[in-house]
Amino acid sequence: MDLFGGLIHGFSVALTPTNLLFGFLGAVIGTIIGILPGLGPLGTMALLLSLTYGFDPTAGMILFAGIYFGAMYGGSTTSILLNIPGEAASVITVIEGYQMARRGRAGAALAVAAIGSFVAGTISLIGLSFLAPTLATAALKFGPSEYLAVALVGLVIMSRLTGGNLLKSMMMIALGLALGTVGMETVAGYMRYTFDQPLLAQGIDFLPVAMGLFGISEVLVTAEEPAGNVQLQKVRFWELWPTLVEWKRSFVPIIRGSFIGFFVGLIPGPSPVISTMVSYSVERKLDKHGEFGKGAIEGVAGPEAANNAAVGGAYVPLMALGIPFTPAMAVVMAVLLIHGINPGPLLMSEKPDLFWGVIASMYIGNLMLVIFNLPLVGFFARIIRTPLYLLMPIVLLLCLVGVYSVNNSILDIWLMTGFGLLGYLLRRLKYDLAPLVLALVLGPMMERSFREAMMISRGDLSVFMTRPISGMILLAGVLVLLVPILIAWVRRLISRKS
Amino acid sequence: MKIGSVVFAGLILAVGLVYEIMALNMPRGRLSYPGPGLFPIIIGVFLIATALGCLLQEILPLKRRGEGPSASAPPSQDSAAPEVRNVQKTFQVMALMVGYVLALKPIGFLISICAFLAVAIHIFGYHRWVFGVAMAAVIAGISYASFVLWLKVPMPMGILEAVLE
Repeated sequence: MDLFGGLIHGFSVALTPTNLLFGFLGAVIGTIIGILPGLGPLGTMALLLSLTYGFDPTAGMILFAGIYFGAMYGGSTTSILLNIPGEAASVITVIEGYQMARRGRAGAALAVAAIGSFVAGTISLIGLSFLAPTLATAALKFGPSEYLAVALVGLVIMSRLTGGNLLKSMMMIALGLALGTVGMETVAGYMRYTFDQPLLAQGIDFLPVAMGLFGISEVLVTAEEPAGNVQLQKVRFWELWPTLVEWKRSFVPIIRGSFIGFFVGLIPGPSPVISTMVSYSVERKLDKHGEFGKGAIEGVAGPEAANNAAVGGAYVPLMALGIPFTPAMAVVMAVLLIHGINPGPLLMSEKPDLFWGVIASMYIGNLMLVIFNLPLVGFFARIIRTPLYLLMPIVLLLCLVGVYSVNNSILDIWLMTGFGLLGYLLRRLKYDLAPLVLALVLGPMMERSFREAMMISRGDLSVFMTRPISGMILLAGVLVLLVPILIAWVRRLISRKS
Repeated sequence: MKIGSVVFAGLILAVGLVYEIMALNMPRGRLSYPGPGLFPIIIGVFLIATALGCLLQEILPLKRRGEGPSASAPPSQDSAAPEVRNVQKTFQVMALMVGYVLALKPIGFLISICAFLAVAIHIFGYHRWVFGVAMAAVIAGISYASFVLWLKVPMPMGILEAVLE
């Protein structure tokens, strides 16, 4: 199936009433959680993961794509109107967006953010439509060495890009990999770290870990925050249209942000957040009006486009290689794994309905989201008034029932509670959760690839370097790890001499 | 939270050591035919090395300042923060969750989730008990209808099993 044939087939799948409904639900939930501070797209997807067990996998994937894109749209609303970022990727929008609102240009900022997000989302989806099938075809040539190299380098890059302490990130990777070895080993059926508990034989399930680390810990952290009064700024429909000058100033930043976002999305790490930072700093450097910090529309248009485009980019490695580069993509991958589908290069040929249906649904979802975030912006903004004393218990209820519903196992609730506490402690101690979760997901695949590579090469460890693709990927990983350390060392040396 | 970081890194180091000892007792196989213990041995070494690195990273600056991990270090921004935040709520929520899990099988879903929600609503800041319990009962009823009756999730019904069946 070629690209256009695939997309037409995808639209025929995405436009069925059920899939349209799931796309709509995803967009609504995504917009709401994007607006609500404290509950991000990752936590929401983690807590809804168990519910997708009862759905068709395509519908589950469509729901999650809607949530992820919707959160990026919704996050800008509260950033602009209230000076409160709804989720991490909208933090940058607060700087210029709220200043615009204070100058009476809230409507224009919201419109530019929504339309910029739509343009960026569409550009990134075109990129995803072209790049994912090409990469999937290329990946058919990948052997175990290449898969191990991609996963290893992905983890290394992630630990570098999360911006935290490198050693702490590495320790989280090691912990995640260690957790991934719990359970029955697949080749010889050997029980590892199960402590004679039959329920641990199938390993530590991703679901309670993700729900605990992201869902429960988010509730625990939010519980500590002091409740504040929210003052909403009113925006009338006719105020939403930006002036011609504002349009002109926004156009290029939107296009620039779209490309920045898409390419940052391809890299392991919290791509929506990083892309907004990169886009903002680029726009600031190119600023000709001297308005940055006082409400520059470029500072809203670029970052808002970038965070949406990053979502499309992040789907590429998952859909093409079956390797998630962000925790959110790991949760999306879990939707497939719950249904016994292994994502990878064969997904496009073996499950064309799912592959193309999800991509096509993203185009439709993007269109729905523009409607939610322009004419209905006032309605959605009011959601921020939902009291925490109702919202948080409901989130906990969904976690407690959801995690039990998959395996009907009390052990899963205990695991979720334990990982919730661990997630809370890790957040408070400034550890990044993303490397742990990704390592847990990638660990079993890495072990399988390592063992297969060793058996094929008859124990020759140099196989990882001598095979051209894996050698190149590993070299890139070594450079990413060592170059910043070397640069810092040389700088210190120079400053000491001077 | 400096002390907390030291304790946490030390804890992970201990976990790493236990993990490695257990890995060394598993069949390792050969490099050309790796056994179930080989990969965990590598991961164990990685875990110990990184945990040790984190521990040293936390301890060395303290020692340089002439303080031990047990000494009363001046409160950092991190350590002061939980006092400003309501850290008590975190423990209350955790205790509530543990209570719910323990009560789920014997008492059943409907009563335990209703009690859970009523207390959770109180913890999260709504202090009028009568309305709180009423809200909890409504949410519990909706969750029972949607999860148990509609989605057929076999939640334990405990003491209400005979009545509800």
